[in-house]
Amino acid sequence: MQYVFEIFYLALIAVIISFTIFFYIFSRKAPKKHADLKEEPTETDAPHGMHRNERNWLYFLLAVVLLGNLVTLSPLIPSANYGLWTQSAPVMTITIQVENYHFIMPQQPIIIPVGKVVEFVVVSNDVTYGFGVFRKDGTMVFQMQVVPEPYQNTLKWVFDQPGFYDVRSTEYSGPQNPLMYVPNAIQVEG
Amino acid sequence: MMRGRVDNLDLPLLGLDPQHFYAMLTAHPFVMIYGFAYMSVMGAFYFLVPYVLGRDIYSKKAANASFLLMIVGVMTVWTTTFVSHYAPLYTLYWPLPVAVATVGWNPVSILPFGVGMILIFAAVLAFFFNMFATIFLPLRPKDSTQPKPAFVAKELMVTAFNVDKLRAKIRGVPDYASKVFTFPVFVVGVFRGCVDTTINAVIMGGVGVLLSLYGLSYLIPSMALSPTLIDPLWYKNVFWWGLDMIADGNVLMFTAATWYLIVPILLNRKLYGENIVRSVILADLLVSMGVWGHHMMADTPQPPGLLIEGQIVTWGELVTMGLTIFAVLMTLWLARPVKYTAPLKYVLVSIMGYGIGGTAGVIQANYAVNRYFHNTQWIVGIHAHVQLLIGLGLTIFAAIYALFPMLTDKQLSERLADVQLILWTVGALVMGLGMGLAGVAGMLRRMLYVNGLGPFQPYMNTALVGAVILASGYAVFLVNIIRTVGFKTILSIFYAPHKPSMTVQAVTERSIV
Repeated sequence: MQYVFEIFYLALIAVIISFTIFFYIFSRKAPKKHADLKEEPTETDAPHGMHRNERNWLYFLLAVVLLGNLVTLSPLIPSANYGLWTQSAPVMTITIQVENYHFIMPQQPIIIPVGKVVEFVVVSNDVTYGFGVFRKDGTMVFQMQVVPEPYQNTLKWVFDQPGFYDVRSTEYSGPQNPLMYVPNAIQVEG
Repeated sequence: MMRGRVDNLDLPLLGLDPQHFYAMLTAHPFVMIYGFAYMSVMGAFYFLVPYVLGRDIYSKKAANASFLLMIVGVMTVWTTTFVSHYAPLYTLYWPLPVAVATVGWNPVSILPFGVGMILIFAAVLAFFFNMFATIFLPLRPKDSTQPKPAFVAKELMVTAFNVDKLRAKIRGVPDYASKVFTFPVFVVGVFRGCVDTTINAVIMGGVGVLLSLYGLSYLIPSMALSPTLIDPLWYKNVFWWGLDMIADGNVLMFTAATWYLIVPILLNRKLYGENIVRSVILADLLVSMGVWGHHMMADTPQPPGLLIEGQIVTWGELVTMGLTIFAVLMTLWLARPVKYTAPLKYVLVSIMGYGIGGTAGVIQANYAVNRYFHNTQWIVGIHAHVQLLIGLGLTIFAAIYALFPMLTDKQLSERLADVQLILWTVGALVMGLGMGLAGVAGMLRRMLYVNGLGPFQPYMNTALVGAVILASGYAVFLVNIIRTVGFKTILSIFYAPHKPSMTVQAVTERSIV
């Protein structure tokens, strides 16, 4: 999923950089007379309101905001789907305690069925940690913060690929945080 | 039950103690944001605000106090982390900074760190008091009938939030021109940005007080306060509400204000859509009150309503910043053919930096994508560093290149300024993209990969090359300053006998171009 956003973003910044270069080049040139007259706002052109160009730009920005929120809050993206839309009860709940820079797992590896909704409940007894699940190539499947008690940190997820997964603390919790790495903590079967 | 973590690592790694590493990581943002960015902003605004208003600064004593407090505060924080390796990071998530038993901090280190924070934010508050007083008060009071601080606060709140206009509307006053129109747009940007940054200083200074109290209590074991007195989620919400204000106030609104000032002056024409710009700054001030939620997207105990509110309001910054950039670009475009001097080039590229860094921020500041990107190098690389280094950094340099001739009667080399611009921009982009794409590949921020970087190594090598190019850009800037004014002149700032500073009126007659 992350790579979809990476490609989109790289295309976007290519546009931004190209725009800057072209803007620099063309703004150094004198305008054609008729074009200048068309674009230059006059004193009588809505002195307290918006010029037409600016209004169009505002509408464009509002459309981007609307579209962006609709997409990222919709079930199209798996994380939003599992977090905001999935109603089905989890087939299993995995409770993990975290204390003194250790993940205390119910079993190792934790066996999870592929394609089913599972729920993680992570509880910290001391400081704030992170709970992140990673593929063997290092890419992140998901993460959440682990706010210490009295809070419980819960998350529903569906693993769509069988295999082994690693667990890491994804939030700085002190200089021992880098040690909080559990290889092959989860095995997804099916 | 199985206890899981790596215990067979050969620490310290490459001679680097992890606590030392994280102590450096703790000092880094304090020194860069308060020691570099804030000092530059304070220096520029102490000159520019009185210059634009045609009056002297309200209190030179307060100006000197803010200068000294900031230096002492930053040095106290830096020294504490350097000497004691106290390493709670700038995030200071409760109860990490006071979790002596869990983490093993030296309890003596908490108090000086907290005091350092108090000094930094006292400097910031002294600066803002001075700004507000310069803007809203008549000349320095000499008798008891002069307005009091409460007057300044009232004027600030009324003008910053357009309360007078609202009041006039409620009372049905026709054609009422709000007070904000009596100030130049640059000054409006400054005092509205100062509202955000004052809130930031109060919250962060409050955290400094909290740490000092706990640090003090730990020195007397029988009096030690329990970390459980503070709710970690409430603390985190209040902390981010205050901390994110610096992003809106210092980074966005101060930047916008600086663009709004120097671009029209350098082009010798009015700012495009100046009246709309005032409304945009107000909108940004209102938006800034509700954006902190994007830092809490990964906190599942956070109420869902607040998560979604944080997402939607954060996207609102795309609108306010988009309109700000539009106004500046249109001002440039309508001034064709533009003769680009160094400050204008820097402004144009800083806009590009906001485009690149800002869109990275918007992409990850939502519920769905945050699940994959939170705390990865994406956030700190492409979003934070590109926005700070290219967006804010180049705006600061633009102001320096514009002000330098006015203050010194000497012209910095345009050629060296061009070299610096290219090195700084390319370096920051390469570094930011190297880090950010490592984040996409799963590399975490604030993480010491004690087994080696593995698949992230090529990304970090690229980022390192970018950092070296960036640093060489800064070196070119220093060379430019030193060769223009001479090394002796720079040293004389620190040892020369006190001379009366140049008055605003004396400088006002000079041209900025």
